[in-house]
Amino acid sequence: MSTAHGEQVRVLEEHGELGATHSLNWWGMIFFISSEALIFANLIAAYLYLEIRAGRWTLPSGDHLDVIYPAFNTVILLGSSVPAILARSGIAKGDKRRLVLGLLGTIIMGSVFLGGQAYEYTNLISQNFTLNYKTFGSAFFTLTGFHGLHVTVGLIFLIVILIRALRGDFTAKKHFAVEAGEMYWHFVDLVWILVFSTVYLLPLIRG
Amino acid sequence: MATPVIGNATTTVVRQKRLSESYVGEWLMTTDHKLIGIMYIVTGFFFFLVGGMEALLIRTQLAAPDAHVLSPQTYNAIFTMHGTTMIFLFVIPVLTGFGNYIVPLMIGARDMAFPRLNAFGYWVLLFGGIFIQSSFLFGAPPDGGWFLYAPLNLTNAGCTVHATACTNGMNADFWALGVLMLGVSSIAGSVNFVVTILKLRAPGMSINRMPLFTWMVLVTSFLLLFALPSLTAAAGLLLLDRHAGTHFYQYAFGGDPLLWQHLFWSFGHPEVYILILPVFGMISEILPVFSHKPIFGYTFIAWSGVAIGFLSFTVWAHHMFAVGLPPIAQAFFATSTTLIAIPTAVKIFNWIATIFGGKISFKVPMLFALGFVAMFLIGGLNGAALAVVPFDYQVTDTYFVVAHLHYVLFGGTVFGVFAGTYYWFPKMTGKFLGERLGQVQFWLMLIGVNLTFFPMHILGLLGMPRRYYTYAGNLGWNELNLLASIGALTIGLAIMVFLYNVIVSLKNGQVAPDDPWDAFTLEWDTSSPPKKYNFLHIPVVRSRRPFYDKKYPEIADWKTVIH
Repeated sequence: MSTAHGEQVRVLEEHGELGATHSLNWWGMIFFISSEALIFANLIAAYLYLEIRAGRWTLPSGDHLDVIYPAFNTVILLGSSVPAILARSGIAKGDKRRLVLGLLGTIIMGSVFLGGQAYEYTNLISQNFTLNYKTFGSAFFTLTGFHGLHVTVGLIFLIVILIRALRGDFTAKKHFAVEAGEMYWHFVDLVWILVFSTVYLLPLIRG
Repeated sequence: MATPVIGNATTTVVRQKRLSESYVGEWLMTTDHKLIGIMYIVTGFFFFLVGGMEALLIRTQLAAPDAHVLSPQTYNAIFTMHGTTMIFLFVIPVLTGFGNYIVPLMIGARDMAFPRLNAFGYWVLLFGGIFIQSSFLFGAPPDGGWFLYAPLNLTNAGCTVHATACTNGMNADFWALGVLMLGVSSIAGSVNFVVTILKLRAPGMSINRMPLFTWMVLVTSFLLLFALPSLTAAAGLLLLDRHAGTHFYQYAFGGDPLLWQHLFWSFGHPEVYILILPVFGMISEILPVFSHKPIFGYTFIAWSGVAIGFLSFTVWAHHMFAVGLPPIAQAFFATSTTLIAIPTAVKIFNWIATIFGGKISFKVPMLFALGFVAMFLIGGLNGAALAVVPFDYQVTDTYFVVAHLHYVLFGGTVFGVFAGTYYWFPKMTGKFLGERLGQVQFWLMLIGVNLTFFPMHILGLLGMPRRYYTYAGNLGWNELNLLASIGALTIGLAIMVFLYNVIVSLKNGQVAPDDPWDAFTLEWDTSSPPKKYNFLHIPVVRSRRPFYDKKYPEIADWKTVIH
């Protein structure tokens, strides 16, 4: 941010035009995430479109997807948002120890989720359910894989923040990267609820 | 330069110039919204010339029946690249460029909210553009039409039945990867615009007092944020189909080519409003200034833009009437398409009411703005005709559609872009564009557009399909096609006049004062061209025409009108 730019923000703050609650960066992140969320919306729409067209999707064995194991994985992913919140609220008070511990917790839980997804994939592939298995395979692996990609990006994001935190880059006043990482992580969590419902829960309801 | 004194001896230390301080380095490394805006505009015009030459090749091929200027394969590539270039590499960058340059000045800001993200967006666009165009060098230009329908976009695996219609080469990959890159650029730009407009307006400029161009850029940015994801998803799935063995669009494996159409057009229809809304904004700035009146019905123009934005997400399948949608869906999409004509017509009436009773000065920006209103009206009317499903059955995929989209995109957007160029050129460069040459260009373009695209209505009604590389001589299409080709040459001539005008005016054009048009908005309250920091003091706004208030304090708007 140039100095002239900084002065503009100051003038706006003096006139009370910039709400005191959120920074410009926060708003930028919100709009970026909302656009990203719509990619998921489109993929979910494509998933449902193909599923309705096919009538009834089953695995090569004739069963539905197993829901117990992914549900367990879901709990871990949703739970990983808690240490992320602790990390951000920690650094907001200047508590660097809580920041590091919180980030570590989120990273570990996120990695467990990702490992779980990999395990599920190998399991399915060993049953001959692959990317090429009808439209079901295509849609399933694309949608969940795209989410997995987002988890991976989120993890990289958090690891970079962790390294910066260990180097002491963040203070109580200046820690937007932590906030952004937390926002992105919540997004990845929330969107998983929609993906999980579409892929695993909906077939249960349809029977 | 610093002159430290050491002992009694004086040494002069010459600091090495940084790269960012040299002329080229400044352009390469700048984060100034004005320089980035100009780079966007220049890049856009460059691709306009590329796309224009492709158009001339098409019209040369079609000038006479059974012509052999282009082979069928080359013809496919040329019309595909014409559409792709014009839409993604000319209109979007040029409008982003104007937005970049003008919006921060209009709202009294010193820069965009995220200057570095802004520069990032430009460079991604440039390399994305080069990437798509480089397909010609690799002998694999995209050739499935600019909307690249399945199965034309698939490799053999996807269409065993019609293997000849598929693209085995990298053609479609260039297209898909290219638009993904351009999407990244547009998302970066849109996030920036939205935050800038929502958060960095000068003190006192409530959303109700925002200039209309800013309004329309805001709506456009939201459209890009929410429509581009569809294209991203569509192109991503396409790449998976082509290279990873998925079956999204492959009928033989239970996929559906129509899925591509749904995804593409749920991007593609908001997209056409993305291409026109900022131009609506420009026209809403230019007409009042040259009529010496405030805009008529500010609120209606602003909110009809928002209405168009919302409705544009509900009309996509009117591109697909002929694919056999269920009647209920056809009824829905015909209705929504007719509905969207209402807010558009509201704008036209507002513009006419703005001119009505004004003291009009017919400077070149005004000529182009008036030309825009007339041409866009024709494009709107024949568009409303296409919303009628039985009529659409008759003329879909004929030259009638080509006539429609060029009246809106050329008669509309391009006229608007030239209006904006003549209007803001003095602010950007400190020189006027030549008035006389501008008039020549305007009349050549007006004649050229109607000569090229009006006969296409009739060609369409006579049943000439679009995208055929040639036609037989006994179908009664010869004269009309020849007329269209002559028209295209006329447009080409007009563009040459414009280029000449820019070069001559930059070199020894008339020097422009800070406020050459007696305008209303804040960008004219800066020097021409503006200083790096735009405004020495951030202005305080009290009405919709802040600069007018400053110039005429006795009759200032805020004394009489409360908004």
